[in-house]
Amino acid sequence: MTRYKRQDPEITRRKFINVAVGTTAAVGGVSLLSTLGTANPVFILTPDKMPPLKGDILVHAGGDTEGQPVRISELSTKLVRAWPMGKDKQGQSVIRKGDPNNLLVVYRFPQGQLVPPTNIQATIEGQTVAYSDICTHAGCSVGDNDQGPGMKCPCHSGQYDPTHGCIVIGGPPPRKLAQLPIAAQGENIVVTDFFLTMPYPYIHESEWEAFKKTVEEQLT
Amino acid sequence: MNQWLDERLHLSRLNDKFLRKAFPVHHSFFLGEITLFSLIILILTGILLALAYEPSNSMIVNSFDPGTADKPNLIPAAYHSALKINAMPFGDMLRRIHHWTANIMIAAAVVHMMRIYFTGAFKKPREINWWIGLLLLIFAVFTAVTGYALPYDNYAYNTLKVIYGIVASIPWVGEWVSQAAFAGRFPGEGIIPRVYGYHIMLLPAILIALTGAHLLIMIKQKHTQPQYAKRIAYKKIVGVPLLTQQTPIMLLLALLFAAIIVLFSAFIPVHPVEFFGPPSTTPINNIKPDWYLLWVFGALAIIPSFEFNFLGGVIGSEFTGAMILPTIIVLALFAVPMLDRSRENMYYAENPTNHPVRLAAGIAFLALLIVWSVAGYKPELISANILTTANANTILWIATFLVPALAYFATLGIVRGIRALRESDERDRAAFSHADD
Repeated sequence: MTRYKRQDPEITRRKFINVAVGTTAAVGGVSLLSTLGTANPVFILTPDKMPPLKGDILVHAGGDTEGQPVRISELSTKLVRAWPMGKDKQGQSVIRKGDPNNLLVVYRFPQGQLVPPTNIQATIEGQTVAYSDICTHAGCSVGDNDQGPGMKCPCHSGQYDPTHGCIVIGGPPPRKLAQLPIAAQGENIVVTDFFLTMPYPYIHESEWEAFKKTVEEQLT
Repeated sequence: MNQWLDERLHLSRLNDKFLRKAFPVHHSFFLGEITLFSLIILILTGILLALAYEPSNSMIVNSFDPGTADKPNLIPAAYHSALKINAMPFGDMLRRIHHWTANIMIAAAVVHMMRIYFTGAFKKPREINWWIGLLLLIFAVFTAVTGYALPYDNYAYNTLKVIYGIVASIPWVGEWVSQAAFAGRFPGEGIIPRVYGYHIMLLPAILIALTGAHLLIMIKQKHTQPQYAKRIAYKKIVGVPLLTQQTPIMLLLALLFAAIIVLFSAFIPVHPVEFFGPPSTTPINNIKPDWYLLWVFGALAIIPSFEFNFLGGVIGSEFTGAMILPTIIVLALFAVPMLDRSRENMYYAENPTNHPVRLAAGIAFLALLIVWSVAGYKPELISANILTTANANTILWIATFLVPALAYFATLGIVRGIRALRESDERDRAAFSHADD
């Protein structure tokens, strides 16, 4: 630093260069930022990525019977994983496994075991019940609890009670698993409406409502 | 020829500046070198693996088990290529060497960092290198995590899903950030190409650049001198020159290290893709991350369920446990050179027992990470009847506070004992020194 500052009415060379370099850097930075837009591809809602819809049939999600309808008579208090199977625009059957968060779980409990907050109207004869199988904490698929009753998520030990509307009974999950309203159609299980509450990955009720609206608009 | 090269490349200047660099003679100074050798082995094996790997999650027919014409056995191309690599001569071995080296690199980096911390080598003028070192560790962990996503087996699939969920749990912007980071909603068609890009281009480039800066600054600032250097020649640099004395030691160490890794890889399998199988709806029971992320996992397993709205953003246990908590831990590590500084430039490594508070704080910190890592084994502890479902969280939370506190005060006590012994030794020596005359 010089002790005496020269009073110069004109803009100095240094100042000009500093301002010019600063402006260029700012403009360049912002324009580079715009390329980030390409990082996030456009989401297209195809039939296989739609949530379980009214009229969908539940089919087995794994094992030898994968893709075959889930029969009410084969269900028990052990969990059975299922995908919703619907129709696309051409009327072809499509299993909605494009979105892994569509994974469902179906139980059949003896009469009287299913109690509120389970929505009994949305079950089959108060016995057969379907939930989303995706843990509301970090999105893992929830399994049978090997250390007690109910369900346990293998990722961070979240626990749910499927007889009480899949409320959280242990671990970090913030919300219960969403119940899916179902009805019997012969031996098959058919979906009668959207999930009763918002499923994973939604954290705002408004986002889930907006998504339901998008789905309905695309269907009509 | 030497002269010919020297006239063009000024080899003698290079020799004076770099090749004569003095290396302190102490085994703890090899930890950084082991980390560097790991990076080199990782790059070499990584190039070989990349030549045979197919970065795509499109479904293709499994050539090992094609199924039937009307029901073909479809698996992701990336998983299929992992199976093909395993079927190559020494292919499985190559994968194991790559994976084992990654683990050892992070282990060596952590132990190297502990050496720096406990001897106070992060103090002025070496603060910048402490920060670069931390960045190296963080990016090494990112590289490792993106690496074990690549085989795209069921384990990788579940890991990716959890990571996606954790990123999406950031309030306000999480959904957008995770979609931008992982090419759309999970699992987008482009997720494996995207992670592949991170793992073989972006992150290694960052690692190599940071490693270069780390080493250049180290050469410029010189190593901290071990204590014996103070006695031999005060304020002089003591050690053996890189060329020719240190180089054979380095080569020996590198070969021995490579041999140990190959030995490990030959007998201890890691990430068996056939065992995990292709991505499926069936979760893997008791899935866990690698050891260096187990503490985050454990913290997530014991954090209670909560969620609240803050200015329209949702802050939940997942964000708090997997983002805020590790950020606090990392910030604490970044703050180390600011909390414990020296006014003068530091030349000599300090004896940890002369700095009991720093030593005790470091040990308490490690104890905390160990408690959280043990908490990652909560399901196993419950299965083994050591804890019950009802009391597991309470006991692990008590341990979270109690064990580090105990470690802290125990260390202070032990250090006090050591110093008392040392002082009485000196008194004895002073008292009986006349006997030698």
